Amino acid sequence: MPLNIIVLIKVIPDLEQIKANASTGEVQTDRIPLRLETLSENAIEAAVQLREKHGGKVFGLIFGKQESAPLMKKAYAMGVDEGTVLTGYGENNPMHTAEVLCQKIRTMQFDLIISGNQSADTYTGLLPGIISSKLNINLLSNALTLSIDQATITVRSSLDRKIQNLSSQLPAIVSVTQETNQPRLPPVMQIMAAGRKQIVTEAAQVADTANVKRISNKAPKSERRKQLFEKTDEGIVAIVKAIKEEIR
Amino acid sequence: MKTLIFADDGEIAGQICSYLKTGTENYVATLPGEESKCGKTGAKQIFVLNGKPDSSNVSIALKELKDRESIDYVFIGSTAFGRDVAGKLSGLGNMKPLSEITSIAFKDGIAVTTRFLYGGKSVLTEESNSNLFVTAPGISEIVQDKPGSPVQQLNLNDPAVKIVGEEKKSAGGVDLEKAKVIVSIGRGLGKPDGIPMVEQLAKAVKGEIAGSRPVCLDYHWLSEDRQVGLSGKKVKPKLYIAVGISGQIQHIAGMRGAKTVIAINKDKTAPIFEECDYGLIGDLYQIVPKLVASLLA
Ligand SMILES: Cc1cc2nc3c(=O)[nH]c(=O)nc-3n(C[C@H](O)[C@H](O)[C@H](O)COP(=O)(O)OP(=O)(O)OC[C@H]3O[C@@H](n4cnc5c(N)ncnc54)[C@H](O)[C@@H]3O)c2cc1C
Ligand SMILES: Nc1ncnc2c1ncn2[C@@H]1O[C@H](COP(=O)(O)O)[C@@H](O)[C@H]1O
Repeated sequence: MPLNIIVLIKVIPDLEQIKANASTGEVQTDRIPLRLETLSENAIEAAVQLREKHGGKVFGLIFGKQESAPLMKKAYAMGVDEGTVLTGYGENNPMHTAEVLCQKIRTMQFDLIISGNQSADTYTGLLPGIISSKLNINLLSNALTLSIDQATITVRSSLDRKIQNLSSQLPAIVSVTQETNQPRLPPVMQIMAAGRKQIVTEAAQVADTANVKRISNKAPKSERRKQLFEKTDEGIVAIVKAIKEEIR
Repeated sequence: MKTLIFADDGEIAGQICSYLKTGTENYVATLPGEESKCGKTGAKQIFVLNGKPDSSNVSIALKELKDRESIDYVFIGSTAFGRDVAGKLSGLGNMKPLSEITSIAFKDGIAVTTRFLYGGKSVLTEESNSNLFVTAPGISEIVQDKPGSPVQQLNLNDPAVKIVGEEKKSAGGVDLEKAKVIVSIGRGLGKPDGIPMVEQLAKAVKGEIAGSRPVCLDYHWLSEDRQVGLSGKKVKPKLYIAVGISGQIQHIAGMRGAKTVIAINKDKTAPIFEECDYGLIGDLYQIVPKLVASLLA
């Protein structure tokens, strides 16, 4: 059965490049390059693998800002067929994000929605559940593996202390873990082809009723000594001394 | 002020209940077998949700409890299952969720909370009128010094998804959060054959072995409960020795509380060297045996 799959893709600042202001400790994110969020890449890979197996179409949805739009090209290069970037993403407000995405999804035909289980920057992990409730479709979460047979999806779901084998009729929403797959590095040909593909942008139709006020956003202080040794023998002397002090 | 606390892990429910002890009337919901772990943390009532729990039927049960008991605030322990339930309940009850909080104080009906952002790179302090707080494990020690709470059994609806089978995950039975010394290994170990060598180091420093996420979840060189980091254990030993760990921010978020950090890595530019007290640049297979020999000498 060919599948219509919607994959939810988040665009985030490159976390490794975020620096804190030396005197105030406030972190600065302006002009930090954007990238696809880690788990979103796993979600794309899972979607593309299912399409390769069953046929159909993978539709990418980003709720971001105008600047996020070019990142859809990377998703195309990884195998996403079509995509829309919804703009108007502000503060992190999962209920708003979910409502914006659901408004769009309600206009679409789909068998399956795939997302990450927890995004690498905000680490919320709420979106799959909220969307499942709002669209009234089943949630199969934290997938280690997923497979589809006719209109039934089966997932190995990784919880903290156990693994559950779950199954459900489609349509459904699946959240994937980082261990699900290794997202592909797209070949040059595909990157070039992706560059020519159209990216649709639409302004989000739902207003953000933010209920959270940010007081501060500071990097935790690191007061480490950072004493580095390239000469092993020299380093070991210092380190053995430090260890012995701690485990006395 | 009435709160409803849910965690599939009774210990985490108990931590939240202990944390909220002052000025709130706490109701706890948990799964069968977990109620004793939080039985004496001062909950007004403990509800045990019987049946085949999934995020759907548990969120429905919590919504009913919340309405029935006129609950002001819901707290849900941040586990994989907890986050699913929190999302489902948020959608179902049109709630205002706030994720991964590490502290909370109420000021005139406003919640002042902290949580990590950017994968652990920063700590966000916020004010909100949120009414559902997903709570990071370990928000407080569990304090079991109250009389036993009354327990009421509730039955869950049938699950929305079919639960075809279940396997327990293997657990190493360690309590990393309480360990005084931790030797933690990363992907730089290259192969599981390196583990006996690291065990010798752990023995020499009387420490527990832990690991980065790939080591525990991808390669299963260690059991999953030995994972340190944002999505693993938050540890605070006196001594943390990171062996072949690059120090990505999500790992650092788990070991920031360590007193002294020693890192061994062959890459001079590895971010772990920004987060260590002592760093040895070089091949861990050369360094670790020498370190063990010196420690035992
Ligand atoms: C939402 C989310 C949550 C996450 N949660 C966690 C978490 O809880 N815990 C966690 O650890 N990660 C977590 N991660 C993953 C994290 O981003 C990194 O991918 C992970 O920490 C990397 O593990 P590593 O350091 O073992 O591997 P790598 O990053 O591959 O580092 C290996 C290091 O070993 C060094 N090395 C290689 N060979 C040798 C040698 N012979 N001698 C010495 N050094 C050598 C290399 O120079 C390198 O620095 C999370 C990611 C996301 C997106
Ligand atoms: N703004 C967004 N646009 C599209 N997808 C998103 C967005 N935010 C989160 N997601 C998806 O939801 C997953 C879990 O995110 P979260 O619930 O925010 O931790 C991510 O891995 C993405 O797949």
